[in-house]
Amino acid sequence: MRPSDCEYRPGVTMGRVIERVYIHNYKCLVNFELRLNETVLLLGANGVGKTAVLDVLYGLRKLLTGEAKITDRVAFHPSTLTRWQARRMQQFSIQAVVGDDTFTYRLVIEHMDDGRRSRIVDESLVADGTTLFSFDFGDVQLFRDDGSEGPTYKADWSESALARVVPQASNTRLTAFMSAIQDMVVCTIRPSLLGAESTGEDRQLNRDADNFANWYRQAVLENPSSTRSHVEALRPVIEGFNDLHLQKSGLDSRALMLDFDTGEDVDGLNRTHYELRFDELSDGHRTLVVLYALLHLRRKGDRVLLFIDEPDNFVALPEIQPWLMALVDLCEETPSQALVCSHHPELIDYLGPDHGIVMRREAAAVTTAAPLAPPSSENGLKLSELVARGWER
Amino acid sequence: MSRSVRVVLLCEDRQHEAFVTRFLREAGWERRSFRVERAPAGRGSAEQYVRERFPAELQAVRTKRGERAYLFVMVDGDAQGPTGRMGSLEAICGEYGISPPDESDQLLVCVPTWNIETWLAYLRGESVDETRSGYPRLDRPRDCAPLVKELVEMCSDRALRTPSPPSLQATCTRYQQLFGG
Repeated sequence: MRPSDCEYRPGVTMGRVIERVYIHNYKCLVNFELRLNETVLLLGANGVGKTAVLDVLYGLRKLLTGEAKITDRVAFHPSTLTRWQARRMQQFSIQAVVGDDTFTYRLVIEHMDDGRRSRIVDESLVADGTTLFSFDFGDVQLFRDDGSEGPTYKADWSESALARVVPQASNTRLTAFMSAIQDMVVCTIRPSLLGAESTGEDRQLNRDADNFANWYRQAVLENPSSTRSHVEALRPVIEGFNDLHLQKSGLDSRALMLDFDTGEDVDGLNRTHYELRFDELSDGHRTLVVLYALLHLRRKGDRVLLFIDEPDNFVALPEIQPWLMALVDLCEETPSQALVCSHHPELIDYLGPDHGIVMRREAAAVTTAAPLAPPSSENGLKLSELVARGWER
Repeated sequence: MSRSVRVVLLCEDRQHEAFVTRFLREAGWERRSFRVERAPAGRGSAEQYVRERFPAELQAVRTKRGERAYLFVMVDGDAQGPTGRMGSLEAICGEYGISPPDESDQLLVCVPTWNIETWLAYLRGESVDETRSGYPRLDRPRDCAPLVKELVEMCSDRALRTPSPPSLQATCTRYQQLFGG
């Protein structure tokens, strides 16, 4: 017998980007800290805040890509304040390793009592102790890579001033951090919302992946070779599937189409090939197309930063473990990171022992997160069974 | 496409899994063709879990006789070695009232002895002694990848570097019997 492999071992991972997330006064999360490795399975009871963590990461990405203002529903609308807290300040922080730097990004938002006005009162980015950017009550101070002071200017309180910084030769460290944030995919796949029509190119996938066709179209433009590996990964997964392509369907629109081979001339009419629009697929097949796209369609380099809720939804049982194996291999073999929220026994048993982090609601409604440490016993039950019984503590 | 698993891997831990699955992939198997049943980490004896699960898995693969479905078992030999571990597996089959494994079973039992770290040390080029423990663990299970590649190359040449650990030699011989690789 060997010691447990499940202990949290900071510093031994290769692909981890986001190391720590801190959330205060957001929905059910108060003074909440989550430490991440390269692969994480986030477990916990319903309502404990797993999805809220993803919502924060998505909100930060929207804010930092300049796509949202703080009060947008997809960001930090006043309704996201913790209801049982009287304080009007929200605080968020992420610590990320990008290249040789460890970055700490901090954001403090104040929501006014009237419930209509909100403002960023503090936003900063620090790399290994060197401040690269600060926004303090409306004043931006930029710094160069070496920490020397750059320009100062006034900025809008309602959006991220950091998102507006133009990449330059003097701020490559800041730019590297922003690039990593832009690579983050935070989503919950809702197949009923997945359409076939693409009306343009989207660099970012929406929270519910409803712009998948646009996102795919951007990937085809940006990195065509990655679409080939996506197709190859899907062929054994979807019976008869041969290829995926965008077909012109209007002046600027394209339809995402899947080619199938029947393998034989089934009706004597020489039809061994047919096409389906993406939205004609079953929910499960649409989900699988997206799941494998998330692993294979790379923006640049090899990095995938994936934060996904319930990827097992709609997926047939035999298809879950192969996707998980591919996910773990990706995180182990490339500088990628994945956080998965799930209650599914397949995920719990496959990822939980080595990668599980449990969120719990403690006394005084405080949510905590800690690596899953199965108790030593001789019962031999699978982890999912322990979780089902509430015996994993 | 409906997935049809060809190899069920019953093993003790993530290092076993990483070693075997990387071997299979290096040897040309599709990731989708195997399924992993790993002992729950941190809870009791992993060897016991594998042993107790073995009869059901053996029975299951016997229903697939003649089809291309195989059971791979990996369990560290520790002081018992391959003979002792096989004896334990045979004994538990007896307890469950099923016939013990034989040559006709589509079964590969790997018993790295002392443990998988002995094989890893051998594949690093060290001269190893199966009767002693203490070869270092890898920091990360995935770090076995280059060592597994070395093993696949030796297997394809049907020539393990000598002297090789007898437990590894036995595993390679059985693998070649089953797959001719």
